[in-house]
Amino acid sequence: MTTTPLLSARRLSASYGDFQALFSVDFDIATGEIVALIGANGAGKSTMLKTFVGLVAMRDGEVRFDGHDVSRMPAHKLPANGLALVPEGRRLFKGMTVEDNLRVAGDRARAIWSGETPWTLERLYDLFPILGERRNQQVEKLSGGQQQMVAIGRGLMTQPKLLLCDEISLGLAPKVIGEIYEMLPIIRQTGTAILLVEQDVSLAQKSSDRVFCMLEGRITLTGKSTDLTREAIAEAYFGAKHEMD
Amino acid sequence: MKWIDAIIQGLLLGGLYAQYAIGMSLMFGVMRIVNIAHGDLVVLLALIGISAAVAFGLGPGFVILLLVPVGALVGWVLQRGILNFVVGEDPLPSLIATFGLSLALQNFMLTIWSADTRSLNIGPLALQSVNVGGLHAGVLPIIIFAVAVGLTALLDIVLKSTRFGRGLRAAAADKDAAVLSGVDTKSIYAQATAVAVAILGIAAVFQAARTTVSPSDGGAQLIYAFEAVIIGGMGSIWGAFAGGLILGVAQVVGAYVNPSWGILIGHLVFLLVLIFRPQGLMARQ
Repeated sequence: MTTTPLLSARRLSASYGDFQALFSVDFDIATGEIVALIGANGAGKSTMLKTFVGLVAMRDGEVRFDGHDVSRMPAHKLPANGLALVPEGRRLFKGMTVEDNLRVAGDRARAIWSGETPWTLERLYDLFPILGERRNQQVEKLSGGQQQMVAIGRGLMTQPKLLLCDEISLGLAPKVIGEIYEMLPIIRQTGTAILLVEQDVSLAQKSSDRVFCMLEGRITLTGKSTDLTREAIAEAYFGAKHEMD
Repeated sequence: MKWIDAIIQGLLLGGLYAQYAIGMSLMFGVMRIVNIAHGDLVVLLALIGISAAVAFGLGPGFVILLLVPVGALVGWVLQRGILNFVVGEDPLPSLIATFGLSLALQNFMLTIWSADTRSLNIGPLALQSVNVGGLHAGVLPIIIFAVAVGLTALLDIVLKSTRFGRGLRAAAADKDAAVLSGVDTKSIYAQATAVAVAILGIAAVFQAARTTVSPSDGGAQLIYAFEAVIIGGMGSIWGAFAGGLILGVAQVVGAYVNPSWGILIGHLVFLLVLIFRPQGLMARQ
């Protein structure tokens, strides 16, 4: 994991107007790795992901992805370079069918090297059989869990080397969350790295190789998921103030 | 018999309104832009077509072949040069920009073509008609209607089952999510406006062939296109087509009741739809 990382961010700063959301953040993820990003609401997790994909302009710093500086790359060009985001709240294309939602991303996917196994509609329907059954239905008619599967599938159809997943468990029943998280190792098998933003700390720890914890726009803890103690996470999650109570 | 005739003539007139309306509906559906200069673009293209026909002795078919690419280019430049800077959540900036463009275009056309009315000479086709069971229908209006059906069907297929159409619908549904899926929204907006104005290139030839055009006519054409889009339901392509036909029928039936009521009845039908079904007849949900 000390080889060239797939994505690395250095001194990343971002703000919304006068409010600074990220303070000189450093972050790395390697090929095929699953990293979880935890932290309280407003810690800057989503902002970091949006900065990676160009939806939030970075004020300072650099993002390198797959050997290139992508700091100034227009957001719509990143999927074709292998960097995709499954946005918070799913953000499906309402009024369009399941299959058309997936095709929009597939139409503009990264070119596949020979020897790679591309994500196809058929492979997605194998992974999520319910989507195959409902392929011609409009997405708003699907349940929340099924919509989340479409959102993940749409990300995969861009043939990502790194899939950023922003709170894919939000608002779903525990059983459905379990079903979706079971897919992550399968997705990783194809060589795709995954960065998860997750509210549930123990789920985040359980499903990742490494954990990053954020607090008020800064990274406060990093480490192997299996090495981190609950105490260390609690301190990084709530900050120094927590120690006083 | 008189009323059947009125309805047929109305449907045929509505074919032209439908040609105006589908492009406007496309632009509204994808970008939430109400293009105030829509009618002026019809007039501009019509005047270019008439001048080209006179200068080079072109027939109407060749004028269409000329105006479609010219329209596409005008639309593309309009979007890239102006509208991409004002498109967004707030509809007001684009409204003001296209309003200003409308004024500028009208004055530009007055300078070039003066206030004279002109029309496109299409020879005997202008007067030919067919007679079915005592009902007369002009050949030109039938062609206009058929072209309107063809354009609407073609646009519908393009939207439903091409890469461009999927990207367009995705950008309309959720712009940021479309960007995350690799859709270049500025480019796709430029293509959408190019398509919308290219369709006006066809409509312009028919407008210039069936009646006269002068630089200040754009306002009325805009109102008809706008009313057709509202009647049918904002953003629905077949809705815009149906809205065009309903407006055409309302105007002709109104004119049969009293020759001076035609336009008025069209406006009244539009207002009734706004009161009782403000989302339009074919809007989703």
